[in-house]
Amino acid sequence: MFSLRTVKGLLPALLGVGFFLLMGAASLVALLRYSDWHSWLGYMQQPYLWRVVRFSLWQALLSSGISLLIAIPVASCLIHRSFYGRAALLQLFSVSMVVPTIVAILGLVVVYGRSGWLYQLFDIHIPLYGLVGILLAHVFFNMPLAVRLLLQGYDLIPSGQWRQASQLGFSRWTAFRWIEWHYLKKVLPGAFVLIFMLCFSSFAVVLSLGGGPKFSTLEVAIYQALRFDFDLNKASFLALLQVSICTLFAVVVYRIAPVNRQDVSLLAVKRYSLKDSFWAKSADALALLVAFILVIPPFLAIFDPVFSPIFLLTLQSAALWKAVLVSLQIAFPAALVSLLLGVSFCVLARFCMARRYLALLPNKIEHLGNLILMVPGLVIATGLFLFLRDLGWGFQSSYWIVVWVNAVMALPFVLRALMPVMYQQERRFRAVYLSLGVRSWSRWCLEWPLIRLSVAQALGYALLLSLGDMGVIALFGSQGLVSLPLYLFQLIGAYRLEEGACVAVVLILLCLLLFYGSTRFIGGRSLVKH
Amino acid sequence: MKPFLLTTLFSTAVVSIGVAFSPLTFAKETLNVYTYDSFASDWGPGPKIKASFEQECGCELNFVALDSSVGILSRAQLEGKSSQADVLLGLDLNLMEAAKKTGLLAEHSVDTSNVTISGGWSDRFFVPFDQGHFAFIYNAETLQTPPTSLKEVVDNQALRVIYQDPRTSTPGLGLLLWMKSVYGNDAANAWARLASHTVTVTKSWSDAYGLFLKGEADVVLSYTTSPAYHIVAEDETKYQAAMASEGLYPQIEVAAMMKDAPHPALAKQFMQFILQPGFQSTVATGNWMLPVIELDEALPAAFDDAFKPSKNLVLPAAEVAKHRGAWVDEWLNATTR
Repeated sequence: MFSLRTVKGLLPALLGVGFFLLMGAASLVALLRYSDWHSWLGYMQQPYLWRVVRFSLWQALLSSGISLLIAIPVASCLIHRSFYGRAALLQLFSVSMVVPTIVAILGLVVVYGRSGWLYQLFDIHIPLYGLVGILLAHVFFNMPLAVRLLLQGYDLIPSGQWRQASQLGFSRWTAFRWIEWHYLKKVLPGAFVLIFMLCFSSFAVVLSLGGGPKFSTLEVAIYQALRFDFDLNKASFLALLQVSICTLFAVVVYRIAPVNRQDVSLLAVKRYSLKDSFWAKSADALALLVAFILVIPPFLAIFDPVFSPIFLLTLQSAALWKAVLVSLQIAFPAALVSLLLGVSFCVLARFCMARRYLALLPNKIEHLGNLILMVPGLVIATGLFLFLRDLGWGFQSSYWIVVWVNAVMALPFVLRALMPVMYQQERRFRAVYLSLGVRSWSRWCLEWPLIRLSVAQALGYALLLSLGDMGVIALFGSQGLVSLPLYLFQLIGAYRLEEGACVAVVLILLCLLLFYGSTRFIGGRSLVKH
Repeated sequence: MKPFLLTTLFSTAVVSIGVAFSPLTFAKETLNVYTYDSFASDWGPGPKIKASFEQECGCELNFVALDSSVGILSRAQLEGKSSQADVLLGLDLNLMEAAKKTGLLAEHSVDTSNVTISGGWSDRFFVPFDQGHFAFIYNAETLQTPPTSLKEVVDNQALRVIYQDPRTSTPGLGLLLWMKSVYGNDAANAWARLASHTVTVTKSWSDAYGLFLKGEADVVLSYTTSPAYHIVAEDETKYQAAMASEGLYPQIEVAAMMKDAPHPALAKQFMQFILQPGFQSTVATGNWMLPVIELDEALPAAFDDAFKPSKNLVLPAAEVAKHRGAWVDEWLNATTR
């Protein structure tokens, strides 16, 4: 059916995806080897477990729903208006999802807490602990992510449509209804599922701001089984339960969602201004205001320690810079591995596009990459470690486990950034490439200017996620492997909250720097938007 | 365009490979001690202990810093017999049974007769290295009438309380046992009363203490020695430990050596060293806990208030191990009613 040459060209991608599957299966098998199926029925009968599942679902639904509801007008506003600080806001948005939870929580407390800014300035008291706190934190983490994902959806709108809208004198609302919505609704399900999964397995936020065990998630139970009881049997049961629930949810969403059919246009650089009105202005202002209020104050609160004298002292400590180095030692390889995996997935998926027998596969491949999000990193890492231990590699492999698990955990974000553009390329140019016989490397070179921004963004996400990772490094950290987040926790654990806050600032600045660097360095001064 | 693509990709790859292979830690005859992170950190007791032990043994002491005391145990269990660990340092009283059951530990031969823990110490597997008591900490400037008993903490509905989840943290587990030893079979009702004025239950000690310092609660579950940190390191006297007339529940941190320790001789030597002044004198102002032997030098005055409890409550380890699951369930049911 396919020529040998085609298969050979696909080989690297096949190897990448194959390796990913192999590692996943290996860690799963390693965990399941310690399972005792008979006890699983007993776990199922615990009423508390189902209460937890119900609450996890409920808060995840609310969190992702609210995040998206706010993100839609914000994204629309960011597309149509250029204002001072827009680029900075976008950078900030991409960083917010990797802020270590404890830092974000303390930031939120400074703003919304009992003696917080909101209370001091406006005398408003928010019941922070409970559902409200959880939602505030989740929206803080995920609304910016949603905005970025939606902006990618906007990228798919051909400039011809904007031109027409402009010529026909569309108002913002009309344009939204007749143009933007059709593109957004293809991105929304994916974004919804992604954020839902992130919130479903949210752990530290839910425990700290939840107020008590009444508001708990499945992840707590998994953490306890694994870390406190080292009950591999129970942990694998709970992890499988979590995977099943998330899969079920994703299947339902994708079933009812419109198919993500990619369109052809790409080089939509020129923007045509639409008819502006008072209502459009006020709606945009309102959307931006909400986004600002939700995201900016906690950020400012996090940056507050910059003004304390301790900040300079913290900057001078050698341990800090060592931790920075370790973090980079983990983040760079992890991001690169993640990117390679992501590209493998994309190449395979787009090869399958619109081909006989294979046309069903692209979505499946994409979901396969996302599946990893449903399994707690702790479980993957533990499974992998057990697998390697059985092979006779112990302690010395921990660095590579940290790198690999971080890479794998970042994969869904990398895919989100890469997939749309890669699909588009295929759709637009496949015929040309085929007829001219342009393949493999030459094809990459032709495509590079068009995809480099997405690659940069993917790399940025992966870098940031690995940089801020706390779960896996906590399992495998050692004296030589103290990353920045781990260092932060050391400080806080030794009562040094203020120094910890300063380290958090360094971490966030580093995140901003790396994200900016990767968009500039790899993304270049690109022709493509944002 | 093409050369630029190549340079970018190439330089990214070089940077990544460069950082990946730059040296982490390599050592020769090295004693590996698994401990929790704040113990091994620069401001913890770790570096001093490392220096003085290395002088004695002529070896290298490597602390493997894990995120919590529970992390130490689960890491050792994860690695099993192939573990590089010689000594586990930083488990606590309530994890001892679980640790023993793993079958990974060796008996020590340390003479523990000079240990000052009330009731003495006679465990064959574990050597205690520091001690303290769980206590609720309050801010004396904002709380005029601090509680004087655990019952007051539980019943005073105006008091905003933060404590840790017993499923994920050792202080939380400590409170669970403290409540159990004070209330016995009535613990469920007490938990329900406490739940109605609990601000939040956090994952770990640091989350809880951070929220408390930001003013989110009147009292937080911590240690009797916590105020000493604020006095010594910050010159701040407003944080104080609340009395508990029923008695306090102790936290005793312990060390054990591994059965399959790669360096058994060094491990034995280190276990002996734990009860020497070279180790014990670093505990107070490094780990902010109390030493377990009499020291020649008195502790800083700040520790005077880390009072000896009127009564030392402690449940037998075997009973704790047997009922922990049921008691956690009792707590879950009572607080989610």
